[in-house]
Amino acid sequence: MGTHVFLLTDFLFKFLVIGNAGTGKSCLLHQFIEKEFKEDSNHTIGVEFGSKIINVGGKHVKLQIWDTAGQERFRSVTRSYYRGAAGALLVYDITSRETYNALTNWLTDARMLASQNIVIILCGNKKDLDADREVTFLEASRFAQENELMFLETSALTGENVEEAFVQCARKILNKIESGELDPERMGSGIQYGDAALRHLRSPRRAQAQSVQECGC
Amino acid sequence: MPVRCHVKSLQICDQVTGGVLAMQKIKSLMTRQGPKSPQDSIHDLSPVENFRIPSKEELRDLREQATDPQAEQELINSIEEIYFSNDSFDVVQYELEKLPPVLSLQEMEEYRDRLKRQQAAVSKKVADLILEKQPSYVKELERVTSLQTSLQLAAVICTNGRRHLNAAKEGFTQASLGLLANQRKRQLLIGLLKSLRTIKTLQRTDVRLSEMLEEEDYPGAIQLCLECQKAASTFKHYSCISELNSKLQDTLEQIEEQLDVALSKICKNFDVAHYTKVQQAYRLLGKTQTAMDQLHMHFTQAIHNTVFQVVLGYVELCAGNTDTKFQKLPYKDLCMHITSESYIPCLTDLCKALWEVMLSYFRTMDWHEKHDQEEVPSSSDSNNVPATENNFDRSYIKKKLEHGLTRIWQEVQLKVKTYLLGTDMSNFKYDDFIFVLDIISRLMQVGEEFCGSKSEVLQESIRKQSVNYFKNYHRTRLEELRMFLENETWELCPVKSSFSILQLHEFKCLGQSRSPSMSPSKQVSSADSASLSLFDQYSSGGNPFEIQAAMKDDETEDVLASNGYESDEPEKSAYQEYDSDSDVPEELKGDYIDEQTGDAPTKSVSRETLRSRKRSDYNLNKVNATILTNTTLNVIRLVGKYMQMMTILKPIAFDVIHCMSQLFDYYLYAVYTFFGRNDAHESSGLGLSSSRLRTTLNRIQESLIDLEVNGENPGSLASSEEKKQKVPSPHLSQLVILTSSNTLFGLAERVVATESLVFLAEQFEFLQTHLDSVMPAAKKPFLQQFYSQTVSTASEIRKPIYWIVAAKAIEYEQTLLIMGNVKWDVKEIMSQHNVYVDSLLKEFEQFNKKLSELTKHVRIPLPVSNILWEHCIRLANRTLVEGYANVKKCSNEGRALMQLDFQQFLMKLEKLTDIRPIPDKEYVETYIKAYYLTENDMERWIKEHREYSTKQLANLVNVCLGSHINKKARQKLLSAIDDLDRPKR
Repeated sequence: MGTHVFLLTDFLFKFLVIGNAGTGKSCLLHQFIEKEFKEDSNHTIGVEFGSKIINVGGKHVKLQIWDTAGQERFRSVTRSYYRGAAGALLVYDITSRETYNALTNWLTDARMLASQNIVIILCGNKKDLDADREVTFLEASRFAQENELMFLETSALTGENVEEAFVQCARKILNKIESGELDPERMGSGIQYGDAALRHLRSPRRAQAQSVQECGC
Repeated sequence: MPVRCHVKSLQICDQVTGGVLAMQKIKSLMTRQGPKSPQDSIHDLSPVENFRIPSKEELRDLREQATDPQAEQELINSIEEIYFSNDSFDVVQYELEKLPPVLSLQEMEEYRDRLKRQQAAVSKKVADLILEKQPSYVKELERVTSLQTSLQLAAVICTNGRRHLNAAKEGFTQASLGLLANQRKRQLLIGLLKSLRTIKTLQRTDVRLSEMLEEEDYPGAIQLCLECQKAASTFKHYSCISELNSKLQDTLEQIEEQLDVALSKICKNFDVAHYTKVQQAYRLLGKTQTAMDQLHMHFTQAIHNTVFQVVLGYVELCAGNTDTKFQKLPYKDLCMHITSESYIPCLTDLCKALWEVMLSYFRTMDWHEKHDQEEVPSSSDSNNVPATENNFDRSYIKKKLEHGLTRIWQEVQLKVKTYLLGTDMSNFKYDDFIFVLDIISRLMQVGEEFCGSKSEVLQESIRKQSVNYFKNYHRTRLEELRMFLENETWELCPVKSSFSILQLHEFKCLGQSRSPSMSPSKQVSSADSASLSLFDQYSSGGNPFEIQAAMKDDETEDVLASNGYESDEPEKSAYQEYDSDSDVPEELKGDYIDEQTGDAPTKSVSRETLRSRKRSDYNLNKVNATILTNTTLNVIRLVGKYMQMMTILKPIAFDVIHCMSQLFDYYLYAVYTFFGRNDAHESSGLGLSSSRLRTTLNRIQESLIDLEVNGENPGSLASSEEKKQKVPSPHLSQLVILTSSNTLFGLAERVVATESLVFLAEQFEFLQTHLDSVMPAAKKPFLQQFYSQTVSTASEIRKPIYWIVAAKAIEYEQTLLIMGNVKWDVKEIMSQHNVYVDSLLKEFEQFNKKLSELTKHVRIPLPVSNILWEHCIRLANRTLVEGYANVKKCSNEGRALMQLDFQQFLMKLEKLTDIRPIPDKEYVETYIKAYYLTENDMERWIKEHREYSTKQLANLVNVCLGSHINKKARQKLLSAIDDLDRPKR
């Protein structure tokens, strides 16, 4: 290791992880960032945070992920983090129909509070507990189709599809930016130019100054 | 034999005439003594019968006659020469011839007497000589007798031999002679065979020796080898033996080599039986001292090999190829190739391996302690041990081993240091880094027990890494805190009213043990092994670094379980457990029914439902509900983590506390810039922020806030290092609206923000003693300053923040406008108050309504509502005075109306608020009543009441003009006001 390379990022996306309590949101995030399963996790209080730089289609995207508490009593705290989210992982537990049934509410909340253009990927978590499954893949994918969501079944335990969920969501957002559907400059888009992009786009003078600074190190 | 001669002579001397003869004989014998051979003598004197001993009488005569030896000698000398000359001369003839021709009797007789005397002297001499030689004679005789016997025996043997020879001459053949020769040969060959067999055995011993070596029976092998050498030396006349000897020597050397290898094995896995054998072997070789010297080299080597192998293993594993280039790298460079993923497992293995080595050393010492004492007395009776061994000073071993302790520990430290510093750990996860620290502190504990070392090398390297790590960690945390602050909408984070930071797992160690000096892991270990040293504990097996790994699991489990469903962790109780519903009024119990809308996993639905009825504990209106935000919680958790770091990292405790104070600084600064900064008020000089608060805010801005980020000002490049320590000023989330009068200008958010800061300050106060205890004495003033200048100012921030609300909540300007329309120069006493009072009161009523509306969402603590009311009332009263000071003309009745208006205002206001006394009530009343003062009183009053502005004072004087103040007095008073004004500015 020795020298850690700090990647210059092209974009910064604000992400949300939402869904009922106990569906494994924090575990998904933990698995995504730390590449390990968080044993015997506890309920999130309010909102927690994680960030990671991923490479999507040659672009370095920094994900700023807000992991919200699923419990109702934190709803007022968590809702305030919805605004300006570019992407969201909507998580349910495939072994609990109850968490699946709540999806509509979560979806409404997200579309209403975040932005109309928010890119949401539906994650049926706990894929590893197939024996206790209460929600079939088909049923969930139909729901996803109807609501224009991407869909994956994930396992925070094994790590299956965890990275994919975040990457797919980020890729979709990038596509939307490229197609002009999303405008990063617009306020509350949940998208910012990263430091790399900033240097080229916004302030060439500043970029020069900084690169000079870096050479000195 | 000569004696016999004398005896013969004596016979002769018996006779008178024979005396001369005897003398002659003796004389001749005397001269002939010595050269004569015994055989001859025997021959001459053999007839023993001749031997006659002189009569006693004669002997007595002899003795009487010559007692004087001198005289005797003369007598003997006087004997004529002739008597001594020839054997064959006739004495008688001689004497007769000598006789003179004329014989005279007398002469004859005289002559005869002379001869007799001479004879007596000779006889005496002879007898003396005989007596003298008697013992040697007897002795000689014995020898002669034995010689005789031997000769007789010899004669017999010879006779027998001759007889046998004769028999052989007749009986023997050539064949039988051949047989005889063969027999002799056979006998010789049998002897040879025996020797050869022994030699063969000796040769074979070599095989046995290598077998023994394989069985690791070194003492046996050496013993055998030495015996062989000894045996071989008795056969050294065989030429093959020299070869064997050199072979044995080779074997012995080989054994020594193997023994050395066996000794080196001790370093990694000490085995009592094995070591006993090796030590015995060295004792047999007489090389115990060499062994001890070698042992140290082996341990050093073992340490090097061990760490190298462990690190190499991980490097190769991670490199994923079989490239051999790593094997050639020096250890230091190899350490650089460790990836961050493999860093911890490798370090753990490294420590485990080093522990094994140290344990082996420890057990080696232990072995010597036990065995050397036993062996010293017993060593004398083991003859096999070389003399050097017995003379060997056992205390040398002890000294050597004890000396080695520090050297080995130093070696271990250096190796671990190289490993530690080989990787930049600044990007490690917090838990991982703590884990590394835990391992190292455990290693230092090992060092302490091993040789009482303070592990300076380790401490220094861990300090280096810690500072580096912590700086980076803190930078990231500050950046993260900024993001939290910028995303914070200042919503209340619902926690139980009994919430305490001790319930957070970050503060667990503090809450449970209150022993700040212990890291969590240390507590565990010290609890179950307080008296037992690590070496005692794990001497028979196991590894303290194994436990370490297990403890990490425990700890994470704790962390994770703390909010779990099934666990009774304290943190859970803060959020989820509803331990008693007795204190909750029945009607409030239904508050949180929505909680069961499927939030909880199905398995715990029933419990969840049960709980949901008791949710009311979260009721935000509850009197003592804690006000904190998600960000506050984040800061508190960080503080907890920083404190954990401090506990484990005493040496950088100051840096950590300094950084911890920055967390608070930044939070304070953020809350102030979001909600309290108001340039208009700052410049108005109202002194809303105390100078203390302003100093603190300026300090924070200077030391922590990077103001250049936003301003496009790349020209002034502050040193990048300095910049790294700074964070940009945070921006308030766009979701927070502070401009709407409906929300009382974001009062709810302001309350949550401000009160969460106050809560945070309280938590810091709570931790003060603890922080103080870990702070190095020299740095304590920093902490005191931080508390007295920063933490304690937190509640002062309420003033500027709520002032902004108070200033906007009531339409003071409106009141002022309405007041401008009031006629004050009335001529009669009015009974009805003016409209502006009502309008102002209406504003207050609305404010009160909004406030109570808000209280449904956010608990507004009493001090806060008091401050709000106070600010509003003060501002209103100031508005009133300002209004009264705008009056151009005023009558006494008009002044009374003012009093009436104010009374009305007070009366209604007191119904709205509990705040007593009404602040600044005097301020208004005094101003109104000053109107009635006489000129002199007024002048004094003006000087005493500087709280009014020059304009207000001047107006007072102007209004009075015409009633009781004349123009001259007015001039005087106005100039007095001017005078007052000057020193003010």
